[in-house]
Amino acid sequence: MKKIHITNDSVKTVLYPLVFGIILVVLWQTQVLHRLLGADTFTLPLPSRIGSIIADNFGVIMLNVKATVFVALSGLLLGSLFGFILAAIAALSPHWGMGGLTIATAFNAVPIVAVAPIFTNLTKDFSSDPNVRSMFAKTLVVMITCTVSMGINAYRGFTELKPFSLDLMKSYAAGKWTAFFKLRLPNCVPYIFTALRISVPGCVISAMVSEYFAEYIVGVGRQIRESIVLAQYSTAWAYIVVACLVGVGMYVILLFFEHLLLKGRRIK
Amino acid sequence: MERKRDVRRKIVALAACAAAAGVMFGGCSKKPAGSAAAPAAGGPRFAKGTPSEAIVRASAGAGKVGNWGLGNEYEILALLSKYGQDQKFLSQAFDMDGFDDGSIWLASAMTYNELGLVKNSYEGGYKYGDTVGTIDMNDEGVAMLEDNIFCNSAFAKANPNTVKAFLSASMKGWKYACENPDEAAQIVYKYGSSVSSQHQSYMAGEVKKLVQTDTKGQTVTNYGNMDTAAMQQTLDLAKKYVKLSDSAAASKLSSLTLDSIMDASYLADASAGKIGKPEKTSVSIQLKWLPQAQFMGYYVALDKGYYKDAGLTVKIVPGGGDISETTAVYSGQVDFGVTWVSNLIAANAGGMSLLEIAQVYQRSGLVLVYKYAE
Repeated sequence: MKKIHITNDSVKTVLYPLVFGIILVVLWQTQVLHRLLGADTFTLPLPSRIGSIIADNFGVIMLNVKATVFVALSGLLLGSLFGFILAAIAALSPHWGMGGLTIATAFNAVPIVAVAPIFTNLTKDFSSDPNVRSMFAKTLVVMITCTVSMGINAYRGFTELKPFSLDLMKSYAAGKWTAFFKLRLPNCVPYIFTALRISVPGCVISAMVSEYFAEYIVGVGRQIRESIVLAQYSTAWAYIVVACLVGVGMYVILLFFEHLLLKGRRIK
Repeated sequence: MERKRDVRRKIVALAACAAAAGVMFGGCSKKPAGSAAAPAAGGPRFAKGTPSEAIVRASAGAGKVGNWGLGNEYEILALLSKYGQDQKFLSQAFDMDGFDDGSIWLASAMTYNELGLVKNSYEGGYKYGDTVGTIDMNDEGVAMLEDNIFCNSAFAKANPNTVKAFLSASMKGWKYACENPDEAAQIVYKYGSSVSSQHQSYMAGEVKKLVQTDTKGQTVTNYGNMDTAAMQQTLDLAKKYVKLSDSAAASKLSSLTLDSIMDASYLADASAGKIGKPEKTSVSIQLKWLPQAQFMGYYVALDKGYYKDAGLTVKIVPGGGDISETTAVYSGQVDFGVTWVSNLIAANAGGMSLLEIAQVYQRSGLVLVYKYAE
């Protein structure tokens, strides 16, 4: 009985947004949406036109998607790792770690648009290939945004333990490291996913914004900007749709892994 | 300079946190390398008299040609193609640091703006003086016309007298500005400037040249004239180098003619004084960039009351960043706009119906700048 109930629920959670999405696309294609918003088909092109542009330029679009996803993922990986290490240090020796964590949090307040051009300038000597050094600069920007969410959340995971659990460990005469590996680390896992749920959409956004300022012209974000400045709205929309698909796709993959690993241990 | 590079390398090597700290402090104290007494080294230098073909080949071969992109790159693409080079360039920032530090050997510069910053020694300048050379798009035969005045073709049809009155007063402003560039620069500076008053004066002097000289170097006296040959060359180059992913827009682009992007009749009537009562008296003009002497004609016309005399109340809307002047005019947020002809062509290919009513700049102001050998 219980199993069927869960299936029903998951059907609902998938079906309702899907139906809503389909209705939206139908309203869009039939231009009802345009009348509601007071837009024309030039600034808000029809889905069919957007689709045909994606189909016509699939190769070029994938080239840009690859560049964006590479930067987003490598920034996510490095940033999360760095944030996690910071959090671990903070949990193990609050003396040192808290300061580092506070500084990292402060950097999160620096907007991407300010950091991105500066990193582009700073990394000019990194490689003689502009593509490589641009990738590096963009990755650093993404890294900053991902470091903070992982740092703060993982720190919570390391320190917000069940009442008395740490006392229990002490009563077992467990050392600092044993407590870390047996208690703190397992407790932290759901928090890691909380951080990733913030970082995954964030890394795509910061990757695309940092492309604006990169020396080497490539990426979904850069193409959106170029197309809008040149008043090519259909093309811009094609890249916007692709950007959404990339973001949603990465998020779905994350949820899949979260479900697989946590099996309902997700924190609220 | 070497020291600066070392610091840079170290910062890069550090973790993100430390790098960001470097940014904060480095960022505050960072001064343009040009403020040093001698021009900074960086990148190769070309002997005076080196043919432009050799410079383009060497720089493009090394992948060191810079441009801002975003629709400003077509003349560069045409030049690269002229010398058989790949259609590739580095994305250049709006300062000239890339040129200064040698990461760009052949950098794009507008004669009235970036070139002044490279050469001049006022605040913000890089002090290169006569130690830099330029490759001029006009001389290379790849010139595309830049700053114009345009509006929606429907607007022009519905408000012909407004258009004529606006053109007449604007051209009077341009005439006065070109005859008195220093005063014009001060007027622009008064209306809110993004750059220093000295740079405005330099800019006014250079803009005057673009307004009064055509692509062949001949003097132009009828301000705003639409030189058919130069317009056709712009359209032809645009058809070749504006690459549109949207197949509908691409086929529209290939079918565009001069008649579908410009109409000289409004200016002709305006210069002949055949102007009726303006249909719409309160109008606005969207600039392509920040308030600067690039647009001095409009500020002079406003300041000297030429618009008022023509029965118009004019609001000048500065651009900058990613403001798209074509979209602003198309959507009716503003009545007139200043854009480059290639941008207007791309917008019309995309589905807008914009009409050029005057061509203020008679020649291309884009050059590629490189360093001379000592």
